Amino acid sequence: MRVMLADDAVLFREGMARILLEAGFDVAGQAGDGAQLLELVLAQPPAVAIIDLRMPPGHATEGIDVAVEIRRQAPDVGLLLLSQHVETHYAVRLMTEFDGGVGYLLKDRVSDLAAFAGDVRRVAAGDCVIDPELVARLVDRKRAGDPLAALTARERTVLALMAQGRSNRALSDELYLSAKTIEAHVRNIFTKLDLPPDAGDHRRVLAVLAFLRS
Amino acid sequence: MTVDARLASDEVGEAGTALDAGVGAAAAGATRGGRGHRLGRAAPWAVGAVVAALVVAGSALGLHLSNVHNGLIAASFTAVGVVVVSRRPGHGEGRLFLATGLAHAVMFFGRQYGAHLTDGGGTLPGATWVQWAGVWPLPLVLVLTGVTLLCFPDGRLPSPRWRPAVAAMVVAGGALSLTSALWPVEYADDSLSLHHPLDIGGYPTAQQLWNGPGRTAYLLFQLAWVVGVVVRLRRAHGDEARQLRWFAWAVAVGAGAMVLGLVLFRSPTLGVLAVPVIPLTAGLAIVKYRLYDIDLVIRKTLVVGAMAVLVTVGYVAVVLGVGRVLGVSAGPSPLLSLVATAMVAVAFEPARRRVQVAADRLVYGRRASPYEALARLSAQLSGDVPHVDLFSGLASTVAAGVGAAEVTLWVGADGELVAVASWPPPTVPGPPLSSTPRALASLGDGGRTHVRPIVHQGSLRGAITVTRAPGDVLAPSEDRLLADLAAQAGLVLDNVGLGVELQHRLHQISVQATELQAAAKRIVAAQYEARQRIERDLHDGAQQRLVTLALSLQAVADRAEAGGDADLAARVADARAQLIAALAELREMARGIHPAILTQEGLEAALGFLAERAPLPVRVDVDLDRRLAPDIEATAYFVVSEALTNAAKHSGASAIAVTATAMTSTSGTSTAMSTSGPGGGGGGRLVIEVSDDGRGGADGHWGSGLQGLVDRLAALDGRLTVHSPPGGGTRLEAEIPCG
Repeated sequence: MRVMLADDAVLFREGMARILLEAGFDVAGQAGDGAQLLELVLAQPPAVAIIDLRMPPGHATEGIDVAVEIRRQAPDVGLLLLSQHVETHYAVRLMTEFDGGVGYLLKDRVSDLAAFAGDVRRVAAGDCVIDPELVARLVDRKRAGDPLAALTARERTVLALMAQGRSNRALSDELYLSAKTIEAHVRNIFTKLDLPPDAGDHRRVLAVLAFLRS
Repeated sequence: MTVDARLASDEVGEAGTALDAGVGAAAAGATRGGRGHRLGRAAPWAVGAVVAALVVAGSALGLHLSNVHNGLIAASFTAVGVVVVSRRPGHGEGRLFLATGLAHAVMFFGRQYGAHLTDGGGTLPGATWVQWAGVWPLPLVLVLTGVTLLCFPDGRLPSPRWRPAVAAMVVAGGALSLTSALWPVEYADDSLSLHHPLDIGGYPTAQQLWNGPGRTAYLLFQLAWVVGVVVRLRRAHGDEARQLRWFAWAVAVGAGAMVLGLVLFRSPTLGVLAVPVIPLTAGLAIVKYRLYDIDLVIRKTLVVGAMAVLVTVGYVAVVLGVGRVLGVSAGPSPLLSLVATAMVAVAFEPARRRVQVAADRLVYGRRASPYEALARLSAQLSGDVPHVDLFSGLASTVAAGVGAAEVTLWVGADGELVAVASWPPPTVPGPPLSSTPRALASLGDGGRTHVRPIVHQGSLRGAITVTRAPGDVLAPSEDRLLADLAAQAGLVLDNVGLGVELQHRLHQISVQATELQAAAKRIVAAQYEARQRIERDLHDGAQQRLVTLALSLQAVADRAEAGGDADLAARVADARAQLIAALAELREMARGIHPAILTQEGLEAALGFLAERAPLPVRVDVDLDRRLAPDIEATAYFVVSEALTNAAKHSGASAIAVTATAMTSTSGTSTAMSTSGPGGGGGGRLVIEVSDDGRGGADGHWGSGLQGLVDRLAALDGRLTVHSPPGGGTRLEAEIPCG
C-alpha cells in the first residue's frame, strides 16, 4: 500500500517511514510541509497521506488545510492527521468536512505499529479513525443526569469503539462477537441515547461524537 | 481699526433702520460707517457744523422758552457725539448722539423760524412749511432719542431681544409722524403760532387717534428706554456698570432739577436747563469712565441732596411750627431763626451719619457685617473649592466686608508678590492680573490703596490691597475687619499651599500608577509570549524527540522479538509504555503552560476542552463574535481553568456553568453596565462567569492561583469578583476590557 508522509520533524518522519516500511507499506514520498505534500500527492496519488496537523509556515492547522485541498483534488486519497494533542474541536471538524476516509490520531500511536498499521488500512478503506484517548475523554466526561449511566459496560465499550470509527464488522472482529450481537448492542445504544437511527459508519461517528461532546 | 468700524456699523445698523425712516435719514447716511475712512472722519465734523449753523441761526431768531430744550439737546448731543466719534472712531453710541443732535437741530430751527415775527409783525417767507418741517418729525425723533439712550454705553441694544421692541417703536413713531405731517394734531396743544400748511379732511379722527394711542405711544417710548437702562444697570458689572451709573446719576439729577423747578418756580426751565447734563455725562462716561469714581459722586450727591432737603424741611418746620405755638408771626424773626439753626445744627451730624449709611447701602449694596464676612470665608475654606475660586472668594469677601471699590489679593514672599485674584472680577477672563512680582512697599498707591500684609507663622505669605475712592478713609471697624480677614487669609494661603503640594503628590502617584499599569501590561504580554514559546519549544523539541524515541524503541522491540529474545522485547515494550505515559504527562504540562488550541481556534474551543476534562459536569456558553487579543483570551482561559479546579476541589457542587460574553457599551444588561471596570477603552468588555451550585462560602479557599489571576486581570484593567455566600453556591465574575 502506497503512503506519503508530511511532517516538519525530520527524525520522527524518518522513524515513521522506517517502521511503516517494515510493516510492508510503500512509503512513496516524504514532505516537510503541506505544499510539498500536495505536489507529491497530485503527481502520484497514494492510498493514504499521513499528515502532521501543525506544520510550517504558521504551525497552526496547516495539516487540515492541505488535507482539505487533497480531498478536493484527489478524492480517493485517505487522510490521516497526526498531532501532539487531540482536540474534540478538530475531530468534529474532520468528521463534518470529510465524508469518510479520514483519521485523527496522537503521534504516540505510531509507536504501536500493529494498531497504527490497522488504522492506516482502515483510512485507506474509507473508514473513520478517531484517537482512543479523545474518545475516552468524551465517554468519561461528567454529565448532569448522565445518559451513559444507562449503558452496560459492554455497550460502553461498543460506544467508544464506534466513536473511534469502527464499523460493525470491525467491532465484531475486535470484540469476538457475532455480527448480530454487535447490531443488537448498537441498536440498544442508539435507543438509550436517543440518537438518530444508524445511517452509515461515517455519519454514525459524527452523531456519536456530537452526542458525547454536548 | 477697520474691523472695529465694520463691527460698529453692524451694531448701529438696527438703530440705523429707525433713522432712515425719518428725519434722521441724512444724518444716518452721513454717520453710517463703512463708507471709507475719509468720509467717516469728516462726517462728524460736517454734522457738527450743520447743527451749529442751525442752532446759531435759530437762536438769532429770538428766545422761545418752549423750544429752548430742542436747541440745548441739539447742541449738547451733537457736541458730545463729535467728541466721542473723533476719540473713538466708529463708536456706535457716538453716531447715535450725532443723529439725535441733528434731528433736534432741525426741529429747533424749524420751530424758531416759524415762531419769529418780523419787525412788521409778519412771518418769514415759507414759515408755515419750515415750522411744519420742525414739528412732524417729533415722534420719530423721540424714538431715535429713546434708541440712543437704550444703546448707551456701547451703541448696542441691551440684547437682541430688544429688536422687536425697537421695530415696534419705529413703526409707531412713523405712523404718528405721518399723522402729524398730514394733520395739525401737534399744533393743538403746542404753543405754535402758525397753522398747519395742509388742510385735508379727516382731522377730527386723526386728533382722536393722536390723543389716545398717540399719547400712550409717547409714554411707552419713555418707558422703553427707562426699562432698558434699568435692565442694563442690573446686569452690568465692571466698567459698563460704572458708565451706566454715571448715566443714571445724570438722569436722576435732571429729573431732580425738573421736579425742583416745577415745585419751587412752577416752571420746567430748571429741568430743561439740566438736560445737557445727561449727554455730557454720558459722553464723559464713554470716553473717560475711569477718570472719576462715580460711586463717590453718587454718594456725595445723595448725602448733600438729602441733607439739603432735611435742613430746609427742618428749618421751615421749626420756623412755622414753633412760631405758631409761640404765637409769633410767620415773618422773619431773629429768635426763631436762631432756634431753628441751633436745632438743625444739633440734629445735623447724627442725621448725616444715618443718611451716609443709607447712601452707602444704596450705592454699594448690602455690606456684609464683619461676622458675616468671616463666616463666609470659613465656609469657603471648609468647602471643596478649587484654590483659584478660593482666592477670588477671599477678594470678594474683603470687598463685601469693607466696601472697597477694588480689592486685590497678592500671594508670595516680599519682592515676589503676584496678584492672584481681584474684585471686581476681571471682565475678560484670561491672562493673570499681573505677572511681574512686586515688593510689599510698592503696592501702596498714594492715599487710595490700603495695604495689609498677610503673615502666617511669622513669614509674609501675601498681601491684600484695598482701593477706595480718594478721601474715603477706612473706618476703625473696617480696619479691624481687614486685619482679621488678613489673618484668616494667612490660613487660606497655608491651606492652599498644602492643597497644591497634595495635588502635586497625587499627580506623581497617578503618573506612577500609569507607569506601573503599563509595566504590568507589558509583563502580562511578555508572560503570554514566554508561555507560548515554551509550549512551542516543547512541541517541536522534547515531545517530537520522545515520540521519535518511542518509534525507535518499537523498532528495537521488534528486532528483539524477531531475534527470539522475548525478555528483551518485553523490557523494551515496557520502556515504550513508560515513555508513552511520560509523553501524556508532558502533553498535559504543555497544555497547562499554554493551550495550543486557544491560539489556533480561540476561546470557545479551548473552554470546550476544559469542560471535557473537568471532574464535574460543566456547561459552557460562549457568545463571542470575534477573536480577542491573545493575552485577553489567555487570561480568560486561565480564569476559567482556575475556577473549575477550585470548584471541583472545594465546592461540593453537582454542576458548573461557564459563560463568556463579549459586551459593547451599547448592548448588554444594565447590571453588567454598572459594574464596568475602570479604563474600559472603547467600551467593549469580555465578561466571564463561572458559577456552581455548591456550598458557597469559598472566600477562604482561594489560594495563590487566584491572586495571580487577579494581578493578571488588573494589568489588563480588568477586575474579578467572587460571590460566595455560605450555602448559596459560588459565582466568580471576571471582566476584561477588550476594546
